[in-house]
Amino acid sequence: MSVQVRIPTIFRKFTDGTPVLELEPGTVADLVDQIDGKYPGFKEQVITEAGELHRFVNVYVNDEDARYLDKLDTKVADGDTVSLLPSVAGGAFRR
Amino acid sequence: MNELRLPEELVDEMVEHCLAGRPNEACGLLAAAGGEIVKVFRMTNASASPVRYSLDAAEQLAAYKKIEAEGWELGGVYHSHTRTEAYPSPTDIRDAHEDVPYVIVSLAHDPPDVRAFRIVKESWMDEDGRVVEMPVVRGPLNP
Repeated sequence: MSVQVRIPTIFRKFTDGTPVLELEPGTVADLVDQIDGKYPGFKEQVITEAGELHRFVNVYVNDEDARYLDKLDTKVADGDTVSLLPSVAGGAFRR
Repeated sequence: MNELRLPEELVDEMVEHCLAGRPNEACGLLAAAGGEIVKVFRMTNASASPVRYSLDAAEQLAAYKKIEAEGWELGGVYHSHTRTEAYPSPTDIRDAHEDVPYVIVSLAHDPPDVRAFRIVKESWMDEDGRVVEMPVVRGPLNP
């Protein structure tokens, strides 16, 4: 058993195009560290210098938003799926 | 992909969704397969605003799962401009975080104007980007 992490299109350039990674259980932060170990430079795409989840990145553990769980400390167990999503927004507002 | 191949039926579906969403902007995702758009995902504008949109993240996750399950690719993001041109605004450029075509439906025209753009950034987090228009090729849906 392991944890599946789904990588969105925008981040696949940092994972050699890999869309799904199989990782060891841990917290969301541990998973990001595991990805960064394999693909150096990945971590800074999703975690700020202050050590928080980037505000334009949403993390879902199974179908729950990690922001409403324990954020980066959210525990991810064997068999869970983690999905990273960039926020998609915009609009005609001119400033 | 230098052009966006978008079947007429799917253009109609996007336009209908955008008209129904007035006075607010409407938004959604597009799935692609074989070099053309094959599916429109109508989504909730979580910003519920006439000048802003944001995809509801839970709906976005569901759409991404469906796209993966069907073997499709994320083919684009669409939204409406209710009173302005179908051209990326400063907000559209700043908040563009997917490296896919951005389709804008302008309801300032009758019939609505549908145009597609790439917003090219060095880093996905950059606030500035270069706007490159992609011709929209409309045609019948492949069998």
